Order: sequence, then structure tokens, then C-alpha cells
Amino acid sequence: MTGVELLALAKDALARAGAAHAEVFITQRQRGCARFACGELAQHMDLDEPLAVVRVASGSRIAEAQTTSLHPSAIADVIAHAATAAPLLPQTEGFPGFAPRGGVTAAPKRFAEDTAAATPELRTDMLAKVLTKVRAAGLVAAGMLESQRASYAVATTEGCARSHDETMASFKVWALETPGAGGAAGYGGHMHRSIAALDMDEETDRAIRMCALGKNPMELDAGQYDVVLEPAAMAELLEWLSAIAFGAPEVEQGGSPMRLGERITGESVTLAEDATLDDEAFGFGAPFDREGTVRRPIPLIERGVARNILYDRTYAARAGVTSTGSAQLGETGGAGGIGTSNMRMSGGQAANVDELIAGIDRGLYVCRLHYVNGFLETPRAVMTGLTRDGCFLVEHGKISRAVGNMRFTDSLLEGLARSDGMTKERRAIPTWWSAGGCVVAPAVRMRAFAFNGKSQRALVG
Amino acid sequence: MLTPTEEAALLATLERLKREPSIRYAEVRFVSEKSERLRVRDGRPEQASTGASRGVGIRVLARTWGFACTPELTPQALDVAATRAVRIAAASSMLAREPTPFPAQPAVRGTYETRVVRDPFTVPLDEKMRALEAPVRALLRGGKPIVSADAWMEWVRLEKRLLTTEGTDTTQRFTYGGAGMQVFALGDDGVSQRRSYPTWQGSEGFQAGYERIAALDLMGHTDEIRDEAIGLLSAPACPEGPHDLILDASQVALQIHESCGHPTELDRALGSEISLAGGSFMQPGMLGKLRYGADIVDIVADSTSPGGMGTFGWDDEGSAAGVHPLIERGTFVDYLSSRETAAGLGRSSTGTMRADGWNRPPLIRMVNVSLQPRAGTLDDLIADTQDGIFMLVDKSWSIDDLRLNFQFSCEVAWEIKHGKKTRLLRDPRYTGITNEFWRSCDAICGESEWKLFGISTCGKGDPMQIMQVGHGAAPARFKQVAVGNTGRT
Repeated sequence: MTGVELLALAKDALARAGAAHAEVFITQRQRGCARFACGELAQHMDLDEPLAVVRVASGSRIAEAQTTSLHPSAIADVIAHAATAAPLLPQTEGFPGFAPRGGVTAAPKRFAEDTAAATPELRTDMLAKVLTKVRAAGLVAAGMLESQRASYAVATTEGCARSHDETMASFKVWALETPGAGGAAGYGGHMHRSIAALDMDEETDRAIRMCALGKNPMELDAGQYDVVLEPAAMAELLEWLSAIAFGAPEVEQGGSPMRLGERITGESVTLAEDATLDDEAFGFGAPFDREGTVRRPIPLIERGVARNILYDRTYAARAGVTSTGSAQLGETGGAGGIGTSNMRMSGGQAANVDELIAGIDRGLYVCRLHYVNGFLETPRAVMTGLTRDGCFLVEHGKISRAVGNMRFTDSLLEGLARSDGMTKERRAIPTWWSAGGCVVAPAVRMRAFAFNGKSQRALVG
Repeated sequence: MLTPTEEAALLATLERLKREPSIRYAEVRFVSEKSERLRVRDGRPEQASTGASRGVGIRVLARTWGFACTPELTPQALDVAATRAVRIAAASSMLAREPTPFPAQPAVRGTYETRVVRDPFTVPLDEKMRALEAPVRALLRGGKPIVSADAWMEWVRLEKRLLTTEGTDTTQRFTYGGAGMQVFALGDDGVSQRRSYPTWQGSEGFQAGYERIAALDLMGHTDEIRDEAIGLLSAPACPEGPHDLILDASQVALQIHESCGHPTELDRALGSEISLAGGSFMQPGMLGKLRYGADIVDIVADSTSPGGMGTFGWDDEGSAAGVHPLIERGTFVDYLSSRETAAGLGRSSTGTMRADGWNRPPLIRMVNVSLQPRAGTLDDLIADTQDGIFMLVDKSWSIDDLRLNFQFSCEVAWEIKHGKKTRLLRDPRYTGITNEFWRSCDAICGESEWKLFGISTCGKGDPMQIMQVGHGAAPARFKQVAVGNTGRT
């Protein structure tokens, strides 16, 4: 179903159920995922992901119910169920009611016919070349090619009515020295709304190149190192920053590092939530949130100063401000939190990563990170994690040799305060916590980043 | 769970797949899930949500696999889904250099159901909300430095019917639950401290009914965690350096999860999970040889443990639940495996294939991966420790892509001097290398301290699948571990 059809369905269900105050959010995703590993196309799947989430208010008592059945009668049933539950619940302080009728806003066009029409045969053909190329290099391929079509709609009894259609194609590839036992690994990845526009050749070449460069790593002692993080590594840190910092609930609980109006990191750092951009490289995700609020550009950190946090309608009403369009479904599809959908970090002046590396006398160049966790000391944004798929020693401005994976533990905001270089070019990295949306980041150089451990490369049994 | 018409449509789909000449094996898996999630934060209902999900996943094997699914249980929709699965398998098979190994298995038939004394879905909503409101009020009592408190409860009723072309026909009905609470205290320096009960959110799950809520006794633990959260604001930081380390049972459970459960997943070890999670240092050539831990370390995969989140009758490809040692007297002896992966090693499946709902294919997932108890109580263990650190309840977790280098931080720690808990320590963390750490284990408490924890948020696969898994654990001691605090190193 298209977004317009989902909207008609939502309105129909609201009319059938007859609840006085209700909201219906519907999404339908169709995903073709060709997952390859050990040099073979191992898991190839067509996934349907329908979901209708309704909320019904009885005064300021609110119940939520959801279903994966997109029949009008099924949605009307869950509205009726929520209407029965709502009066039994405590009041939600500050609930301002569901979203009212809003003006028509120009929705960004994020739909590519070729991605929507992608077949299993097309995905298989596209991957055949990748598998052949990696095999020819004497390496093992792994990764995934996905074509996704998604539609969204929100309708409320107060007159809000919005819909959106989009596509996303993404490609991730690893070239590996061994299938699963470690060794050198190179990574490439690209996302675009059009599957035909994916740079699969170039990204596969990059993965092969980085894997070759990563062979025979040396062990490096723990310590502070100047570091250049690729956009994929930076994006993972920013996702964690989003999880601990920007939502109104995290600020309320005292765990957020956001002290509005204060400098919390380096002057070179500017970060915004912006789902409005229409450019092909960076525009992903719905332009409105699950409550129907249009997402607007929100400066989060400007030149190192904390500027804004994110709200849904209820938290905004309690704070006396306007919702930022940041209400999210939870991981399991239930009532979720408040967070970013399209986080964009501004770039710097460096022409490329090589220029950043050239400014390091002795340090590290890191391609990706693994298993980052940002719950260590959230008011300082202390995070830990490991390097993955390429970690290299830089000496006298040049990559000198591969290094075994290293563990870092440091404050991201304090690290960024020691940043003195970023690339002008930025990349869109798909968020791994949710389907849709992305983080846009440059490559970043930070001084004296703390690495407190190293991985063993092999074991003796 | 299924209407007669729907059941007939499922059976017809299976018959149709049996007639497909290219298909060696197929599963038709019906899944119906009902859920309820409740959360009270600072006296307000933050979440009061119910959910229903229902559909069919179809996995077929030609030279290689194809998977498709549908939320519709009509003959037409099932036929379309089956056609899509066959088409995907055919397309993928064009690239398959060898047919995927998949040894035949005798058909099984039967039913499994969680033992439930009080059905949580029949408990009135206002009763459940009151059970959460009361502890939150108690945690917030007295105001600052307490700034926030929340309590939550979650229920899932999962029904599955598995039909395979081998003749397997199983029906299973699970009831999963979980509940807990946490409190935040904020110091004058703007730094907050959290304490949770019964353990960190996401690992307090079980397979049982509402009767478990009373046993949890949230109200009986509010003073303890509130006082500790306040105490942590002025506590000294955990010291840096090697120390003898005692972990509480919940932290041992997470240690097992990250450093034994995941690396013994055979799909990871063989390289099938690189696109999200990574590989494993525990390679097939190490079976029977790798000294994973000390002699006292026995870890089993047990999908029969009563009340465990990883307990079932059969997995999602028809393998029966069972008990399989993974680590025997410190030596690595087996994997969590599937029919396909085990065949590659000339072994039998250990029965661990499960899918997150009808719209995902099954993957190797942990069952109840548990450390076997030894002897003594926690008090005995502390009394036997001259100079050590006792850490409780996880706060952060991180481990590398081969599951070797780990680092965990905990909510709270106690200094131990001369066999006694002497003072509270804040921001504790410890780090190590998996096999060195388990080899340093010199004491594991006995049966009376052993608890079965349930993790409801274990992520794996791409796209991500979330699964309920279990870990039985008792407090344990590890010698000369690198401990420290979460400040900058």
C-alpha cells in the first residue's frame, strides 16, 4: 500500500471505531534482503513489516495498542481495545491532546521506482559480481544488499493527516582474510534511495584494498593516541550520543551532558537533527514523527554550545515549548522514546582523509568501531568500544602499518573538544537501531584519544 | 490460535511445497504474539501498550535457502508467499557453488506450554499499574538528591505452530514476563548515579505467569536501592589495578552471555554473522582442546530449564530441546548449532534455531546457557577474600567482534578487606580477555545462590532479531582482574 492508501485506511479505522480522541500511525515496509557470508549468498529474504499503532485518550489518560494486521476492522478493534483500557490508567501530566490539522508542507521526494521494483533476481545478479571480485582477490566476502520500500501515515481525530513514501537501497560489504576467525578485514558501504545508484564496484574495491592493507597487524600498547575516525566510526559514536543526550527524558533524569547555553565540546562541532533535506545522498526517513508532527531542523550543538533538546508533544507541553517532531516508536514497536532520525554533523575544511592523516605524527587511523557502549558515565558522554575492519598506525603523516584491534574508553565530547580537523565531505551511514533514517558525518581528527586495551589476534588452545 | 480455515490453508501450503520439484525441505511456521508493556516514570504512566502480531514465515531449501512471509492467513496470501520463497531460493541457488548441507531428521509431533499459575493477560490493568506506581512513589520519597524513578512490567504470549515437509507438526505456547525498577540520584556536581532492582533492565525476564511479580517483591527493595544510589554520589571511585573480583550472579549471567553464549554460536564461528555481530575466537579446530576456563567451570546449553527464557519443546526447525555441555571442566566441547551448521562438523544439531516472529527466518540463538553451581554461599566467598572488589548489576557492556576483549561497568561495587564488605565504591568497571578471565575463576558459589536470569533483548542477525534467552549463574570469584572506574584512563 502507498502512504496515501495507508492514510485512507487510518481515517477509515478512526471513523469505524468512533473514539472521541484517537491517533493512528501506520507503517508498511517491504524489504528484500540478500545477506551473503563465507563467499555465498546465504540468507535471501523478502520481509513484510506492517504495523498499526493507535493511541486513545480519555481526558489525559492514554492507552496504546498495536497490530500487524492492516485490515480496517482489525485497526478499529485495537482502537476499541485502547478505548477500554484508557480510563483505567493514571493521568499523563501535561498531555496536550493529539496533533491537530496542520498546514500542508512540501514533503521531500524520497522514492525511487527502481528500488521499489527490485526483484530477487536483480539482487542476485548485482551480488554475483561482488562475490566474484572478492573471491578473485583471494578473500572471503560477507555483507548485505537490501532494497526497501516503506510507506507511513498518521491520522488523528483532531484532523492531522500525513503520509509519506520512500525507498532505501543499502549495500554493505566485507572482504575478509578468514570467514569468521578474525584476521584482516576491509569494509565498504553505501546507501541511496535508488538501487541503481549504489557504488557497489567502488565499495567492493575499497573493502578489498583495506583488507590487503590490514594484513600482518602489529600490537600496540594502550595509551593516548591522536586519531582519525572515518565517517562510519564517527556515526556510531554520534548514535550513542543521541541515545544518552538529546531526548527530554534523559535530560529530566539528570543523565544527559546537554547543559543548554553552555559550551560542552569543541568549537568545531556543530550537530543538528534535520530530516528536511531533499538531497539524494542524505535524505532518508519520514518527514514527520509518529504523532504527525512535522520534523523541523533542530540545532543540537552549535560551535560546541548545547542549543536544543528534543521533545514529543507531551514533554514539550510540560516544558512550555513546541514539539520538535521527535516522538519515536520503541525497538519493539511499542510506545518509544524521543530521539533523532536524521542527525547531521557539519564538516570541516579538509579536502580528504589523507589531509587529516598528514597532520598526525604518531597516531591511529580507524575505519569502523564495534560494540560501542555509552552508558559508562553519561553526563560526560564517556564511551567505550573497539576498532574493527581496519585500524592503522600513522607515523609522520602517513599510514605505516596495520594494528590489531584496540579498545578505547574516553569522553566523546571531551575528545571532540580536542578535534582540530574534519573533512568537508560527509557520508550518510544507515542507523543500525532502526530501519529508516541515517547519521551524516565527516571524518574527524581528535587529539590524545584514550585507548585502554588491545585485542588478542589468536589463541593457543 | 488458528481457525480451521486457516489451518487448512497452512496444510495446503505445505502440500504445495512438497510438490515443488526444486525444494528439498520447507517449513511453514505460524506465529501469533500478544504483548503488554507498562511503565510508570516519576508517577506518570510513560507506557501502557498492548500489541498483537500474527503471520506466517515460509523457509524453503533448494540448493540454498529462500524466505518469505505474510501477515495474511488466506489461501491466496499463503500461496503468494510460498511462491516468493521458492523464487528467492531459485534465484539464490544460481550462485550456490555447493548445495547447502541439511541432513534429514525424523518427524516430531507434540505440544509445549509454559506453566502459568495466574495468566497475566487476565490480571486487571489497574492492578498492574498499582504494582508499578507504589514502588515509584517509595523511590521518590524524600525528594533530592533523588531526581527520577521508574518501574516497568512486560508480558508476551507467543504461540507457534511449525509444519515441515518432513512431517514435523509442533504447537507451542509460551508466556514470558519481566519486571523491575530503577532510581536516579543527582549530585551537586551534575553527575548522576543509577541503581536498579532486580538487575539491569532487560535481564530480569522469566517464563511464567503473574505469580512471579509477588515473588519479586519490588516494594521490599526500594529502600535498599534508593539508599545505595544516594550513597554512590559521595562514594570513592573504584580503584585502578589488578584485584580479586567477585561478581554477583546477575553480572556472571551477562559475562556468560557475552563471552560464552555468543562465541559458541556456530554460525558466528563459521562466519555467517559478520554483517552485524562479527565472528568468534572459538573455532571448530579448538573443540576438545581449548582451555576456555578453570577446571571448576562447567557451562551447559539447557533448553529444558524450568522457567527459563530459553526453554521450549522444539526449536524452529524441529529439533528437540535438550542439555548440551559447551564447556566441560574448563574445556570447550560443543557449540550452539543448527542442522545445517552442525552437519558441516559431522555433528548433530544442539537445537537452537529460533526466529523473532513470523517475518524473520530462524537463526542460531542462545537457549539457557548456564554456569553450573559449585559450593558455598556468597557470604562464604566474601569471608574467604582478603583483598578484593565485589561488583553488582551491569551498567555498560562491550566486547570485540571475536568475543575476546571485554569491558563491563557495574552500577555499584564494594571494597572487600579481610573477608568483609568495607565501603561502597562508585563507577566500577573491569576488563579482560575471555579465556584468561575464565581461567582465573577460582570459586563459584553453590546451588543456594544460583539463579536463572532471562534476557529479553538479545540482538542478532541482519536485519536485527531480538530474542529471549536465559542464563543460570551463581556469584563467582576471578583472580587478579584489571578493575578501575569509568573516568578517563
